[in-house]
Amino acid sequence: MADSASLPQEFRIALRIAGIRLRGQMAYRASFWMQIVSNFIIHFAEVMALFAMFYRFDNMGGWTLGDVAFLHGISMLAFSLGDTIAVGLDSVPGQIRLGEFDSVLIRPLSSWVQAIVSEVSLRHLGQLIQGALILAFSFTIVDIEWTVAKAAMLIVAIITGVALYIGLFTVVAILSFWTVNSIEAVNAFTYGGSDLAQFPLHIFQRWMRSLFMFVIPVAFTAYFPALFILDKDDPLGFPHWVRFIGPIPVAIFCLVVAWGWRQGIRHYRSTGS
Amino acid sequence: MRIYLELAIRAFRQLFAYQAAMLAGIFTNSIFGIMLSAVYLALYHSQASGASVAGFTANQTVTYTWIGQMLIAPVMVFGSWEIIKTIRTGAVAMDMLKPMSYFGYWLSQDMGRAVGHMLLRGLPTLIVGSILFDLVYPDSPARWVASFISIWFAVIVSFCFRFMMNLWGFWVLDHRGIAGITMTLMGVFSGHLLPISWYPDPVRDVLNVLPFRAMVMLPIEVWLGQTSIVEGLGLGAFWIVVMTGLALWLQSFAEQKVVVQGG
Repeated sequence: MADSASLPQEFRIALRIAGIRLRGQMAYRASFWMQIVSNFIIHFAEVMALFAMFYRFDNMGGWTLGDVAFLHGISMLAFSLGDTIAVGLDSVPGQIRLGEFDSVLIRPLSSWVQAIVSEVSLRHLGQLIQGALILAFSFTIVDIEWTVAKAAMLIVAIITGVALYIGLFTVVAILSFWTVNSIEAVNAFTYGGSDLAQFPLHIFQRWMRSLFMFVIPVAFTAYFPALFILDKDDPLGFPHWVRFIGPIPVAIFCLVVAWGWRQGIRHYRSTGS
Repeated sequence: MRIYLELAIRAFRQLFAYQAAMLAGIFTNSIFGIMLSAVYLALYHSQASGASVAGFTANQTVTYTWIGQMLIAPVMVFGSWEIIKTIRTGAVAMDMLKPMSYFGYWLSQDMGRAVGHMLLRGLPTLIVGSILFDLVYPDSPARWVASFISIWFAVIVSFCFRFMMNLWGFWVLDHRGIAGITMTLMGVFSGHLLPISWYPDPVRDVLNVLPFRAMVMLPIEVWLGQTSIVEGLGLGAFWIVVMTGLALWLQSFAEQKVVVQGG
């Protein structure tokens, strides 16, 4: 593990590699746009399903269409940004299987940064646009009394969400240092976590709420900030300050993931062929 | 005929090599089943108990959710792209030279795969759902049998559609755009994302006359008794005939188009 570059240096190099990869992708212009459009359509369908639900019912556990649309908006924004940044981690299992990870370890740049920039894709722009639209829509039908604190909370919620999802995608890559067969199970936490964050937490079973609060702190990046911004009572009865502590559990989660990545690197054995 | 059966059995057996993946699949489908059940139950919570919305009671909707999760792997609700890979690598040339129908070559393998996925992944997922939730079951032995025949029909209709989407590989090199559109058509129009009858009436009426309904919604309607056995199986059979015809027709164009790279 060569860690000789300083942090700002690493960042500059990473950006440069990402730029090169992006330019490579732009060479296939039709495919590039089709990916963005189809990504948009998939998430458009998801939002339409939400509308269809509220076409047949008028509330979900006491929350209106606007409230749930707000949750959809912030989680879709966070997830799409996180996925855009972390998409390179998807290729780690393949690199490990083919033994290509060897060359990553000898380069003087953090292995994680290299994994992040090993692939750059803007296909999640579709979801990003969709998230922004549904969030804007929720603003038009929910009467939010905006304050500086609420605006700040919105930004913090999205940033912590992005960090959390990058962490989750890193977990997938970490597991692939040990096994490649059961990785699909992690989808239950990445895609499952972002799906769960799109709905009010209190409608879920107790064990599932605990899982997405204390193990994977998704709830702190969407539900609790939403309670504050939308001025809602918490049917779960958590103290008021819980709405503000999001960055702490997310930081702890990310630290554990960073530690896990180091363990994974240490465990890595090249393929023998 | 024997050769097709052999191919199906091979594809079926192949799945037994990936036990960890199967467990992971059951786990993931179950977590989503639990999550979606909670979302639906929260919607019904504001209604009088036993109330029916768009033809579904709360228990029927939860059952819908779990059958939907059960069908993900057997029906390949999000699409499958095995054939297009053989087109890109050129292996398709060998497959087309084989002394059997190209369509039958892939269909028989997909049938074997679907049976394997149903046994190893679909049914276990449904069992998890039946333990955790109060599900609704077919009300007669005839309906039980009809439900599973309907699921089998769903796999065939789904295969025909996936086969056709893969054949695009003869015309375009990059399939990611098509994959996204396929995923939307199969995942949404089939009624997997939300029951078809929940959509606003004009949308519902359109989705009801498209073949995608036969991939997910129709077996569920048969299971729940919302559609009569004769109508459910009849409509499924109708779509099999239409889709097979379309697939073979498209294949005849593709065969003229085949260009194999390298040598």
